[in-house]
Order: sequence, then C-alpha cells, then structure tokens
Amino acid sequence: MSTSSLPPVPPESPANRRSSRWLWTLFFLCSIAAIALFFIPAFIIRPFRHQAPHPLLVAMALRQRAPLGTLIASLVCVVLAFALWRTINRWGKALVVLTLVLVAFSAVVARQNYFEWMFHPIAGAQFLAQSDSKLDPKEMILAVRFGSDARAYPISQMAYHHILNDVVADVPIAVTY
Amino acid sequence: MNGRVLHFYLAGINNQNFLMRDRETGTWWQQITGKAIYGPLQGSALELVLSDELTFGEWRTEFPSGQVLAPVAKYVKEYDPNWEPDVAKLPVVISFPGTELKSRDVVIGLTIDGAARAYPWETFAKQSPVLDRVNGTPLLLALGPDGKSFRVFVSRIDGRDAEFFLQGDTTADAAAGKKDWTLLDTTTASQWNFQGCATSGPAQGKCLDRIPALKDYWFDWRNYHPDTTVYKH
Repeated sequence: MSTSSLPPVPPESPANRRSSRWLWTLFFLCSIAAIALFFIPAFIIRPFRHQAPHPLLVAMALRQRAPLGTLIASLVCVVLAFALWRTINRWGKALVVLTLVLVAFSAVVARQNYFEWMFHPIAGAQFLAQSDSKLDPKEMILAVRFGSDARAYPISQMAYHHILNDVVADVPIAVTY
Repeated sequence: MNGRVLHFYLAGINNQNFLMRDRETGTWWQQITGKAIYGPLQGSALELVLSDELTFGEWRTEFPSGQVLAPVAKYVKEYDPNWEPDVAKLPVVISFPGTELKSRDVVIGLTIDGAARAYPWETFAKQSPVLDRVNGTPLLLALGPDGKSFRVFVSRIDGRDAEFFLQGDTTADAAAGKKDWTLLDTTTASQWNFQGCATSGPAQGKCLDRIPALKDYWFDWRNYHPDTTVYKH
C-alpha cells in the first residue's frame, strides 16, 4: 500500500491520541490472546517434559478452544490494525505487521495436528497373509482375535504410527502403542 | 462409545503416555487407561480389548490364517527395527524415588477389580510360570516357548484353584527351543499349552480364562496406578 494514495493524516489532537492508545492496547491484547491460545498448550504438552495435572487441564481447555478462538482474535487484530494503520509511523507499521504474522501463524498452527507431522497416521491400512509378511519370527507384535479373525500389528510399525483405527470382525478398535 | 464409532488420532503427550483425541467429539483420552480426561465425553472409558504381546513366530503358529498389518511403504524408512533399546534410552520426566523399581524397569502390569499389581519382567522371566493371587483371584503368568511372549490366566479349572508348573525342563531350555513347552496342573494333571488350553489329560479341551496385562515401564505404570503393589519373591 503506498502512502501517497491515502488521504492526508489528520492533525493530531489529544482525543485522537487517546483513541490511538486504546487501539494499541486492544490490538496487543487480542494478539496476545491469539498467540497464547496456540503457544501455551504447545508449551505445556511438549515431549520429554513433565506435565503436571493442572497445567495439563489448562492446555487441553485452551487447545479445545484454540481453533475458533484464534480465528476470532485474528479477525479482531486485523480490524484493529487497519484502524491503527494511518496513525502510526514506519516502526509502528513494522511492529503491527510482525505481530499479525505471529497471530496468523498461531491461527494456522492451532488448526494443525503437529504431533502427526512427527508420527504420520496410517491412512487405509493394508493387511497381509502371514505367508506374505517379511517379518522376522522374533519380532514382537500386538495381537487381537475376534472369533476366527486374528490380526497382528508389528510393534516396530506401531511404535512409529502409534495409533491405528481398525475394524476386526465388525468390532471397531483403536490399536495403540 | 454408546453405540457411536469414534476414530482416534494422536493429540499430545502426558508424561510420555500419549493423549488421543477422537475426530467425532474432540474429547481427550489417555492412552494407557482409555479414559476420557477432558472434553464432551469426559468421565467415559473405552472398553479394553484383550490383546497379546507375542513374537511373530509364536502368533503365526497359533493363528495360521491371521492377517498382519502391512508396512506403509512411504514410512518404512521411519520404522525403527531397534525400537526397544532405542526407546529405553529416551529420557524420563517423572520418577518415583523410593519405590521398588527403577524408572525404565519393564513390568507386566495388571488390575483385578481395581487392585493393580506389577511384575518385574526379569523376575517373571526367571521364575515363569509365576503363580500369584490378586484380590482373591489366583493368577498364572506364563512366559511363552519363545522366551519373549507372555500371557496371564486365571489359574482356576472348573471353579477350583489350580497350580501349574512347567513340565520337565526349565524355562530356559524351553525358551531355547530344546523342549516342547508344556504346563502341567497339580489338580487334574492335565497338559496345557501357551494358549491356556488343556491338550491332554482329564481337562482336555478346557481353556483358562485370560486376564488383560500390559508390558510397560515402571514409571508409566506407577504414574497411572499409584496404589500398585509389586510382586516379589
């Protein structure tokens, strides 16, 4: 956006300054809300760290609300940024843009399951007859049986994917390791 | 859950035990307990399906027509053939100093009507078959012929408590494949296989009831079963 196409900046009045201070405050509150909705649960639920019961509840509660919450906060932030834009200098604009990038990042990642970036789920599991399996007889497997339907889930595979939603003999099961 | 099929995905981690969520309601579930800990279905629990941790070799002979999950070609590189020692090297984030075992000690964990008990794997493997009693239920824990598979049974034949021992040779010999793996019970003197079924003798054709059991690290088992007792002998 080039500044020459905009109407001239109105002269500063105390009332203007006060309203711009309000806009700044609101802008930062809403951006903190958006970023916190993503960042706090991500920080609490991180691998190889201890999770205490209460923070874990907070994390789950925030994560549950983050997809909608970050979306609303982002929209409010954008509206406020528009309102602020003409009243601020170049540094102010840089700060607003940087904050909006972080807010947008939070809104996007709050909709992603980054745990599945590390451990990809199995989409459309395939099964082999045991004569077709190249598994070593010493390999460990998880086994279930429903009536005459027996299935084996090699642990080396389950230790990567971790969860498989399967149906054996019409029984829906979640296999997890 | 209540007649509705839920599909689960990995959603987080709670002290190195996974958190799952279901696509249908967004509820959070704890992997080890199957309990809904947060969200619309909070307070519900999934029904545990009886499962086995066996070697492929053992399972293949028991279920010749069984099916094996195929590796996903795209991720074969990611599978760690050395998962067991590699996982054991990962740091632990909770520990229970002053308890009987070390964090990464492997245990067999089971619960009978709410009473939890852990069997240190090494003790179990050395002593198998292990006879024990939890909450009044007589138990038989058996290490399979391959020395790696395990199963837990109610050691009762027709409502009567029974004792079992390994026929003839030691567990180590059976594990090394030197001898057929057969259990003998002292009540009927029948022979039993690793599936818990009598193959000959007066009890032939009968099978023992199974108890679900989990092979787990001590820190994880102890964390979710704070009142657990530990088997020692």
